[in-house]
Amino acid sequence: MTARWRLGLLIAAMLALAPAVWAVVTALPPFGSPTAAYGQVVNRLLPHLRTVSNMVAAVNFDVRGLDTLGEESMLLCAVTGAVVLLRGSRGEDRAEHAGRVPGRATIERDDASIVVCRIGAPILLAFSAYVALHGTVTPGGGFQAGAIAVSALLLVYLGDGYARWRSRVPHPLMAFIEGLGALLFVLCAALPLAWSVPALTSLLPTGKWKDLYSGGLMVPVNIGVALAVLGGFAVLVAEFMEETRTPESDPVPDEEDA
Amino acid sequence: MTLLPWLVTAWLFGIGIYGIVTSRDYVHIIGSLSVCQSSTYVLLLSIGFRWHSGPPIFYEHPPGTASVDPVVHALVLTDIVVGAAVTALLLVIALQVHKRCGTTDPQQLRPLRHTK
Repeated sequence: MTARWRLGLLIAAMLALAPAVWAVVTALPPFGSPTAAYGQVVNRLLPHLRTVSNMVAAVNFDVRGLDTLGEESMLLCAVTGAVVLLRGSRGEDRAEHAGRVPGRATIERDDASIVVCRIGAPILLAFSAYVALHGTVTPGGGFQAGAIAVSALLLVYLGDGYARWRSRVPHPLMAFIEGLGALLFVLCAALPLAWSVPALTSLLPTGKWKDLYSGGLMVPVNIGVALAVLGGFAVLVAEFMEETRTPESDPVPDEEDA
Repeated sequence: MTLLPWLVTAWLFGIGIYGIVTSRDYVHIIGSLSVCQSSTYVLLLSIGFRWHSGPPIFYEHPPGTASVDPVVHALVLTDIVVGAAVTALLLVIALQVHKRCGTTDPQQLRPLRHTK
C-alpha cells in the first residue's frame, strides 16, 4: 500500500468515526463535575482507615495495590524483554572496559559541568530518597522517586562520561536492585496470605497520620516500587549504552567517552 | 469550555494516529505512539477534575475538604512509568530492525523477507 493510499484510508476512517467521537464527547460528564463516586469515597474514608494523607499513594499501594503489582510486573517484563533483545548476540558476559561509539569524537568536558554534575547527583539521589520515604505523606511515592534516582545516575554519566559511569554504577547491582524491589512488592502482597487475610492487608502498625511512618504496609511497598523503578531504568540505560558501543581492544586509560 | 478537554484528547489521539500512518521511520512511529498515549493522560486527569477542589493530599487541608479524584491520578502515574518502559522496549526492537535490515523505514521492509 502506498503512502497516499494509507493516508486516504486514514481520512476515510476518521470521517467515519467522527460522529461516534462527537457522540462520546457530548455524552461525557461536563468538565469539572465528575460523576465517579469511587475517588470521593476514597477521599472520605481512607485518611481515617489507613491514616495516610496522600490519597494517590493510598490508591496505588493499598486500595488498588494488586493492580499496581500487575503494572509493576509489566515494568519488569518490558525491562526483561528489552535486555534480552539488546543482549542478543553479546550474551551475559561483560566486556572488561567500556566500549566507545565508532566515529564519535571524544569531547573534553568543561570543569564547570563536571562540578555541577558531581554536586547535583548526590543531591538528587538524596531528594529521591526523601520523595520515596514521604510517599504516603506528601506528593510523591515510589514511582516518582525511582525516576528521580535514575536522573541522578544519568548526571554521573553526563559529568564523568560512560567509562566512569560504568564503574561507579555497577550494572549487576542495578539488576539486583530491580529484582529486590519487585520481590519486596511480591512478598508484601503474598505474605499476608499466610495469615489467612487478603493479599496486601497491612499487618504492620498503622502509624500516625502526617507522620513519616504512616500507612503500615504501604511504606515497604513504596520502597519496593522505588527500587524496582530505579533498577529497571538503570538497567535499560546501561544496556542501551552497551549495545551502541563497540568494545575496544586497546582502551585509552581514563578515557572520557562522550 | 466543558467540551474542550475531550476535544483536546480526541485531537491528540488523532494526530498520534496520523503520525503513525504517515511515518517513514520506526523511531518516529514510537514518538507518535507516545503522543497517542498522552491523550489518555489528558482524558484521565480532566475526567477526575472538580471545580474549587484541592489536591487529594490531606496534609495542609483536613480530610473532608473537597478534592479531585485520586484514582485517575494513580492511573496516570503508573501509566507514565510503564509507558516509558514499553517505549524503551519498542526502541530496542527498532534498533534490532535497523541491525538486521539496515533501515528503520517501514516502507522498505517487506513482510517475511529473509534477511541474512
